[in-house]
Amino acid sequence: MKKILLITALGLSFAFAGSVSPADNAQYQKECASCHFGYQPALLSKASWEKVMGNLSDHFGTDASLGKVESEQILNYLVTNAGSGKITANNNTMQITKSPYFIKEHRKISAKLIEQKEVGSLSNCMACHTTADKGNYSERAIVIPNYGRWE
Amino acid sequence: MKKTLCFILLAFTLIHAKEFNAPMKTYMEGLSAEAKAANPSFTGFDAKRGEAIFLSKHTGKKGTEISCTTCHSTDLKKGGQNVNTNKPITALAPSVNSTRLTDVAEVEKWLSEGSALEKGDVLTYIINQ
Ligand code: HEC
Ligand code: HEC
Ligand code: HEC
Repeated sequence: MKKILLITALGLSFAFAGSVSPADNAQYQKECASCHFGYQPALLSKASWEKVMGNLSDHFGTDASLGKVESEQILNYLVTNAGSGKITANNNTMQITKSPYFIKEHRKISAKLIEQKEVGSLSNCMACHTTADKGNYSERAIVIPNYGRWE
Repeated sequence: MKKTLCFILLAFTLIHAKEFNAPMKTYMEGLSAEAKAANPSFTGFDAKRGEAIFLSKHTGKKGTEISCTTCHSTDLKKGGQNVNTNKPITALAPSVNSTRLTDVAEVEKWLSEGSALEKGDVLTYIINQ
């Protein structure tokens, strides 16, 4: 019994240590991964996704509106797979980059490395996390342009 | 022998690059009818006018100057980069990226603004790249 608990706890902490389920929904990939990387549902809470999907016509200075049916289907995919735990704790904003855990994890990166053309902002996960599309954010797979491996 | 084959292949890709698929042809015919209805002296779409549209600058939502080339670059055979997110964009030229201009819904989505004449001209320019 104790062993099972331990294994479960271990499994859970692995799930937090830099990996989330990949965004495996074709409709989501098509509509939400054209302008930027397709952020995995587990990176935001249910409340956050509801906000994002409720404001698509004014989406960070762009228009990302969808038809009513598509929008409902995508919202449904996002909220059913929304995150909980470390990465979403104390963040009900529309941005992953506003999460306290996210901010803490990225505080050591210099502004120069973030502002360069190849990256632009911390929202551009794929620019540094080479396996972000697989849901893997582990340190081993981080390569910052014009800097190299982080590890 | 090899040379001839190469030439045939090249010619084939060149011809191929200038052809819309059937659904896109239907879409272009629709635009053409619309352009004709708006202006009876319309005689057909023009890649040169399309190129001018592709290069022309407008003031964008953020108050900065923006054109199609801001994200798609001036060489359509090369990729570009989204000015808002810094995400790389693959080449727009069908001659190097065969999936381009093959899906009417995708084309309509990204060309939501502009008249039928402007859309037809710019698509005629891109299909020839
Ligand atoms: C027309 C382009 C466009 C489309 C389509 C689009 N977005 Fe965005 N999105 C942006 C821009 C611009 C930003 C600002 C972030 C940046 O600088 O990269 C952004 C940011 C975000 C962020 C915040 C990222 C952060 O900083 O933590 C989320 C979440 C997001 N988008 C979700 C979505 C979802 C869900 C969809 C599909 C319904 C979608 N986006 C479709 C342009 C787009
Ligand atoms: C400028 C490059 C860069 C960008 C862009 C970036 N990250 Fe990171 N990220 C890092 C680095 C470097 C670390 C490791 C920090 C450390 O441990 O010192 C990290 C750590 C992480 C971790 C913790 C990994 C672990 O092993 O616990 C997560 C999760 C993460 N990033 C997610 C994201 C997400 C999601 C995005 C996009 C919204 C993103 N990152 C954008 C560089 C980046
Ligand atoms: C803010 C950046 C941006 C600007 C400016 C921009 N585009 Fe795009 N365009 C995109 C993105 C992002 C996509 C979708 C991603 C992709 O298909 O690689 C796209 C897709 C397209 C497509 C769909 C091609 C296909 O069949 O796959 C066409 C056509 C297109 N753009 C034409 C234009 C034209 C014409 C202009 C100028 C009037 C323009 N774009 C300006 C970012 C931009």
